[in-house]
Amino acid sequence: MALGVPWTQFVQGVFIESYDPTIEDSYRKQMDVDGRQVMLEIMDTAGTEQFTSMREFYMRDAHGFLLVFSITSMSSLHELAELREQIVQIKGGDPNVPIVLVGNKSDLEEDRVVSRSKAFQVSQAWGNVPYYETSARRKQNVTEVFVDVCRQIMRKDLNARARRGQAPEREYDTRSSRRRKKSRRGNDDDDRYDHRERRSRCTIL
Amino acid sequence: MPRHQFDLPSAIRLDTTGLAAKGGYTSPPLTPISPQELSGAQPSLQAEPLFHNYLRAFHSFHPTSTASSTLTDESITVPINRGDVILVHSIHANGWADGTLLTSGARGWLPTNYCEAYDNIYIRNLLNATTQLWDLLRSEEDGDLSVFVRQDYIRGLIAGVRYLLDQSRCLHREAPLVQSHVGIRRLRKSLLNDLSCLVKLGKRLQETLGEVYAEEVIGVLLDEIVLKAFKVVTRAVRFLDVWAQDNAANNNTVPKRSTQIAAPPTSLTNSTSLTVIIDSPRGSRSSDREFARAAREFSVVSQGCLFRDAAEQTNTGSTPSQTASPFDNARSIWPDTSRLIQSGSNPDLRTRKGKRTSVLHRVSNVRTPGRDHTCNLASEHLHRAHDILLGCFGSFIGSHLISRQPSELLTATEQSAKACQDLLNVIEKVWEHDQGRSAQLEQARKAMQMRLTELVKATRGLFSVSTDAEGAPLVLPSHEKELVIAAATGCVRSAGDCVATARLVIEQIGDFEFEEAGQGIGATIFEELQMRDLQERSSDPDSNQVALMPELIVAPLVVSPHRRPSVTVSPPPQPDLRADRHTCDGSTLEAPVVTAVTSLTDTRMDKIQMTSQDLAKLTWFRLPTLTEIQDDAPCSPDSMSKQSTSSPARKFSVGISMTDSSSTYPGSIRDSEHSLLSRTSTRATTPDLVPAHYVSNSTDPALLTSFGSVSSTRSIVTDDSTDDEVHIMEKTYAHELIFNKEGQITGGSLPALVERLTLHDSVPDPMFVTTFYLTFRLFATPSGLAKCLVDRFDYVGENKSTCTSVRLRVYNVFKRWVEAYWQPDADGEALEFIQEFAAGKLQARLPAAGRKLAELAGRMLYYRPGASWLVSNAHQIGVSSRLENDRFAPIPNSVITKSQLNTLRSSRIGSSTCSILDFDPLELARQFTLIESRIFCAIRPEELLATTKKSGSKAANVKAMSKLSTDLAHLVAETILSLEDAKKRAAIIKQWTKIAMSCLELNNYDSLMAIVCSVNQSTILRLKRTWDLVSARTKTRLEELKSIVDHSHNYAVLRKRLDSHVAPCLPFVGMYLTDLTFVDAGNQPTRQLQCAAAPADEQQQQPLTVINFDKHTRTARIIGQLQRFQVPYRLHAVPELQEWIERQIHRVGANDLDCVQKLYCRSLLLEPREVPAAAVHEGAAAAAAAVVMPASRLQTSGEQRAEVAVAAAAREKFDLFAGFGFAALAALKERPTGSV
Repeated sequence: MALGVPWTQFVQGVFIESYDPTIEDSYRKQMDVDGRQVMLEIMDTAGTEQFTSMREFYMRDAHGFLLVFSITSMSSLHELAELREQIVQIKGGDPNVPIVLVGNKSDLEEDRVVSRSKAFQVSQAWGNVPYYETSARRKQNVTEVFVDVCRQIMRKDLNARARRGQAPEREYDTRSSRRRKKSRRGNDDDDRYDHRERRSRCTIL
Repeated sequence: MPRHQFDLPSAIRLDTTGLAAKGGYTSPPLTPISPQELSGAQPSLQAEPLFHNYLRAFHSFHPTSTASSTLTDESITVPINRGDVILVHSIHANGWADGTLLTSGARGWLPTNYCEAYDNIYIRNLLNATTQLWDLLRSEEDGDLSVFVRQDYIRGLIAGVRYLLDQSRCLHREAPLVQSHVGIRRLRKSLLNDLSCLVKLGKRLQETLGEVYAEEVIGVLLDEIVLKAFKVVTRAVRFLDVWAQDNAANNNTVPKRSTQIAAPPTSLTNSTSLTVIIDSPRGSRSSDREFARAAREFSVVSQGCLFRDAAEQTNTGSTPSQTASPFDNARSIWPDTSRLIQSGSNPDLRTRKGKRTSVLHRVSNVRTPGRDHTCNLASEHLHRAHDILLGCFGSFIGSHLISRQPSELLTATEQSAKACQDLLNVIEKVWEHDQGRSAQLEQARKAMQMRLTELVKATRGLFSVSTDAEGAPLVLPSHEKELVIAAATGCVRSAGDCVATARLVIEQIGDFEFEEAGQGIGATIFEELQMRDLQERSSDPDSNQVALMPELIVAPLVVSPHRRPSVTVSPPPQPDLRADRHTCDGSTLEAPVVTAVTSLTDTRMDKIQMTSQDLAKLTWFRLPTLTEIQDDAPCSPDSMSKQSTSSPARKFSVGISMTDSSSTYPGSIRDSEHSLLSRTSTRATTPDLVPAHYVSNSTDPALLTSFGSVSSTRSIVTDDSTDDEVHIMEKTYAHELIFNKEGQITGGSLPALVERLTLHDSVPDPMFVTTFYLTFRLFATPSGLAKCLVDRFDYVGENKSTCTSVRLRVYNVFKRWVEAYWQPDADGEALEFIQEFAAGKLQARLPAAGRKLAELAGRMLYYRPGASWLVSNAHQIGVSSRLENDRFAPIPNSVITKSQLNTLRSSRIGSSTCSILDFDPLELARQFTLIESRIFCAIRPEELLATTKKSGSKAANVKAMSKLSTDLAHLVAETILSLEDAKKRAAIIKQWTKIAMSCLELNNYDSLMAIVCSVNQSTILRLKRTWDLVSARTKTRLEELKSIVDHSHNYAVLRKRLDSHVAPCLPFVGMYLTDLTFVDAGNQPTRQLQCAAAPADEQQQQPLTVINFDKHTRTARIIGQLQRFQVPYRLHAVPELQEWIERQIHRVGANDLDCVQKLYCRSLLLEPREVPAAAVHEGAAAAAAAVVMPASRLQTSGEQRAEVAVAAAAREKFDLFAGFGFAALAALKERPTGSV
């Protein structure tokens, strides 16, 4: 099951006959969030899960994270706890790191193992992070997930500026055109499928 | 009515560009009166504006018969006869199409309402192959003939014919239908003969390519090939007609009109161009007779050709009586037929809504590089605009990367924005033109607009800042620079998407022309952005006609397949100019024609030389300036817009190259075929005289080329025809392959791929072979492959001449598989089958090979997975050469002292300890590298493949690799954190930095990555006191190192470095793993075999789904990149040091699970956190818990107790998540190398 196809297609924007992940732009995506143009740089660590020591390096300068588990695998959700822990730690204990919890494979309702309430409970425990259920295959909610994490990043950015005593409106406006975000998602494998948990981060520079 | 400049659709399409030079810029005639209208019937309704590549005349059209106003002296029409098949290049809005008659090769305007779309599943493969061949030839003008070396184009045609025969159950000579039916038998035979001629021509071309004189004759050969291919198609069509009729007759129990069918139905092809002036009298006379005969037969046989399929014929209720008067019948039954056959929607463009543009064009799959950009086709515009855009952005990004004058930046930005705008304009026009209003295109366009806005925004800020600092090089803050570049990259990317989508749309609806080029695209792009190109041109008002005269609908030149690139020429704006040209047409042109013609007869050799000279000159001129045109008129091919004097050069080259053909191969195949060629070539030189000859030509004996003659049914090369039949009838799956522009296979069914692997006449591309061996388990089962190979072994037996070589190749494939690529676990299932084959079929044919294979397979039975690889080198991807750095350079001496060695030895027995500070960083890096390299070189390709699939367990070395680098990272952190003194910690950081630098020198990116990552993790980074003591120099170095392994922009820096490296090298394996994962995830496993552009809905067979070989090629390429570096380092091992390192690593890695947390706690202990303000969350709580623990206790109570404490802290944290509890920890433990 080529679960990754729609995800990569999300990045690519259009259907492409031949996808080359080795080029620089493979993981960049521009999108419109509340009327603002943002550039997402998506980092997907699929394939490097075993290089655990690199994980933090990947996370360090990311600005937002998608934590993706498969609703057909409880262990994939459990693994996210560890990741979330690490993210919070790396971000200096900031509990408001832009995070979105994503339950993927919502098209496989019959194989569901993680109930919606369970996942929601987890998202509550993580400081009310938004929870989405997506189907990458059916392209449901994929964009929404990215928009949400971008929104969180932007909000956080705005607050940070306000706290620093800068005039938020103006500052934000002048910089908004040069805004670029970084995002990352990582994939892990679960048992049934080519399974993946994703983390993603978006950054405003 | 707008006049159209039009490349002369002359007698033979092979030299159309040359003909254009003769002043035949003609508009299509006025709208032809359709046969329906003549008969009072309703004009057939246009179903949908789809573009059909092939048309077929259902009604004859001779210019005289439609007389009336249509024929001005400038319209070059091609008479068509019922049944003619036409390759369409473009369709004019008034219903005329620019097409090439396959029967004669003549090109010109023809009325589409006399034609129906021709498409039939039986013959579609062949038609597609022919179109491809045409396009291919057109693209090969620039001398890149590599495509022709491998003969793939011929294979496509052969496969097409084979498919037709196979579908019609006439593949074998012994087939009952062939045996019983005289007509079919003959047609089949002549079809095969023609095909064999074509194959021979292809071979000759192949041979000629290597010769010195290739350039001179290549054009002629290519011409011949195209003509021959057309002829094959014509035959095939006729064959299908007869076959269909026969079927209909059988099915319908209509009395079989065997007499009619038995008559050689060759006369269908008797139409040719009317432009023939010069012909040999002998030929004329004979063809005259033939024509008369053919005309009679035609009326009989043409009945059949109206029907594409037996079923349709029965449905339309055709009765025998209809044969009596085919023309009447055609009229009466046509409306039915056309309705029945959806695809037969008559492209009568007059019925199209709105002001659709004037001309629709077939989209060529092959892009001609360097084609003149004045061509007004949508696809050309699109391509040009995209090109310009890329160019602009290239310089835009370039000028942002290095500091430039603000003014330069401004220009670059303006140009880029303009290029974007222009592209958007083009896209919009395409979109408007598409009645389907492609949503996809709309989307792509919007995305691009968004990006453009973004770019403008991003740059606006720059200039507002920079204007006051005029003159000073603008130095942007790096992040702004990045932003701008990111915006620009975004633009380029979305532009690419737009162009791809637009191109798809164009392919569907047919290429069209832009109506006014004056506004928007034409003016802006061609004038402003292409300054350099147009400098000279702009000085001349006429050269800008495109831009200046928006009211003109500019017709394109017909593109010659393999002469110079086409040039769209706009008509002269002034009447007097036109008059001028007329006179030229009349007088000036006459002379050269005569010369050319006379030269044919006498001094051939001289002319040939001249030709080559002229040709050489011709190729020089891409964008000739007006001055050049005037000064040097005879050799400027592109001056056609008004310089009729330039045409002689063209004519020379054309006429003579044709003659050349017959003189170069005088003895070999001196037949009507060649006389035709020379005839047509001469004919081609005098197109201007066409109108005057219309009347007489309709019955002119010269009209009848050998194509139309009955004699051509007989084989031209009768003697060896049987031989060729065998060769051609070879079973093939060649039509199930997909190639990309570079000629690489991107898709195919398993049998087709296997066939490709075992071609008898050429060695397949090494990349293909290695990809196949490496990845076949991803798209086929081992036993499936084995069966397929045996099938190949069997079916090639039909062919006596090639079977031995193919069978040997099949054996070799088996041998190589078993010897070098065998995977006992996966391939075991096929072993029995292979043994059986080896002992049975193979041994029967090739005894020695059979024995050898049986022996090899037998050995595999006892193969133990643990045993060493038989031929480990065979796994190397062939394409990537293994380059080694200084193979014979001396091995550097180890930097280690006796006392250091002694300390190491004593440390083993625990009598002393040593630290990494005790050793030279370079030597440490070397020994690390050696340790890692051992594992890295042991990585086998199937391990890498396995990582993308479920079976991760196979990837032992990959795992070892990742474990090693993770452990190294832990070791780095551990060594730093083990010291109480901040100063000492700083020293350790410095030492690791030095080691990392040495790793970089050694191209050991894996260790470099591990060290950099480790030093940059929060556990270490948060040690503020320590970092204060680290020197600025070390920090700078670390930053440099970090930027090298930086993952942003998809490891752009790292990739670039790796590209230029030679082995030995230790790349970061994780990057390849990610790439492999995404190649797997991002590419579909299969792709659809492309079908004809014109969908014939109800008869459309399901598109064949084939293996997406491109995906596997990519996979193999990535693996190849990795393998490129799998070369052992030439360094002295210091066993003692390695042992010590390994012990250290083992010590740290042993309790991997808690390592990270433990190190973090340790970090907190060493330099406690300044008490966090608020935010008591789990992380902080955990930290607090760790801090609260008395430091002394943690240290004194040893590892075990510390672990318990940490575990307790961790449990506390996890308990916060309802229901998680220890499940989380358990999950973590499952992770083999999990470190938390």
